[in-house]
Amino acid sequence: MDKSITIALVGNPNAGKTTVFNNLTGARQHVGNWPGVTVEKKEGVTEYGGYRIRVVDLPGVYGLTAFSQDEIITRDYLMNAGPDVVVVDIVDASNLERNLYLTVQVLEMGVRTIVALNMMDQAESRGHDIDTAGLSNLLGVPLVPMSAHRNRGTRELLDEIVRMAEGGKRAPVLKVRYGREIEEEIVNLEPMITATDLGRAYSPRWLALKLLEEDDEIARRFRQ
Amino acid sequence: MPVRRLDELKPGEKGRIVKVGGTRNYLRRLRDMGLVAGSDIEMERIAPLGDPVEVKVKGYHLALRREEAAGIQVEA
Repeated sequence: MDKSITIALVGNPNAGKTTVFNNLTGARQHVGNWPGVTVEKKEGVTEYGGYRIRVVDLPGVYGLTAFSQDEIITRDYLMNAGPDVVVVDIVDASNLERNLYLTVQVLEMGVRTIVALNMMDQAESRGHDIDTAGLSNLLGVPLVPMSAHRNRGTRELLDEIVRMAEGGKRAPVLKVRYGREIEEEIVNLEPMITATDLGRAYSPRWLALKLLEEDDEIARRFRQ
Repeated sequence: MPVRRLDELKPGEKGRIVKVGGTRNYLRRLRDMGLVAGSDIEMERIAPLGDPVEVKVKGYHLALRREEAAGIQVEA
């Protein structure tokens, strides 16, 4: 098989990332470690629609602030992933508000993303009625409803992964308006950032936001 | 409504977060977990010796050290 896709699974702890990973890869898994740290690295392979799909399970995180080891690994992976990787963001539909915080952070980075809205059965049993089409529209990315522990939605997710891999490489960057003061600072910073190597590789707006947050890791990369 | 420290709430008492205190990185972590000003929060349980405490915020349960809870101000 000559065509291949790499997908990376991100999501909050307990959003069902590992269940989705198992559904996608079955027994074809490989467990290792991220270089130099004791965080487990899981990779698996599956074949679908004429593609060989490599699945990377990233550590579960609540945000991408490079604070804990898990967050650094997940963020570095997303930053270094390049345009070929498709990110699958596993969201716990029964705990939407907290989970979407990470989603927004991922989408602000400007990587190609599919939102897998997992645990739909639990959300429904709690009486939540989620407007999936509306949410997909607001986020500007495809959204796949799933109930991974019942293996529902896996095929639809694979279809969406293939569709995205065959589509363009450019990802839409989600723009959250942060109010006048912050937006003015972003406008000031963006031209300087765009002129750097880092700014050509990543969304300048996202980099500007990280600098305004006084993110040490991003500041260090700019100094290099 | 009076402003109180989160750790002063009794189990079952609810409030709204006014301010979250702590060091920069620690604040960021709490924010990532949904502890932001304006969020509704409920004291669920307190461990036998008063530490840790369990709160409910944004529809899920979160355990906090008493010291962390003391840095969070709520309207309750």
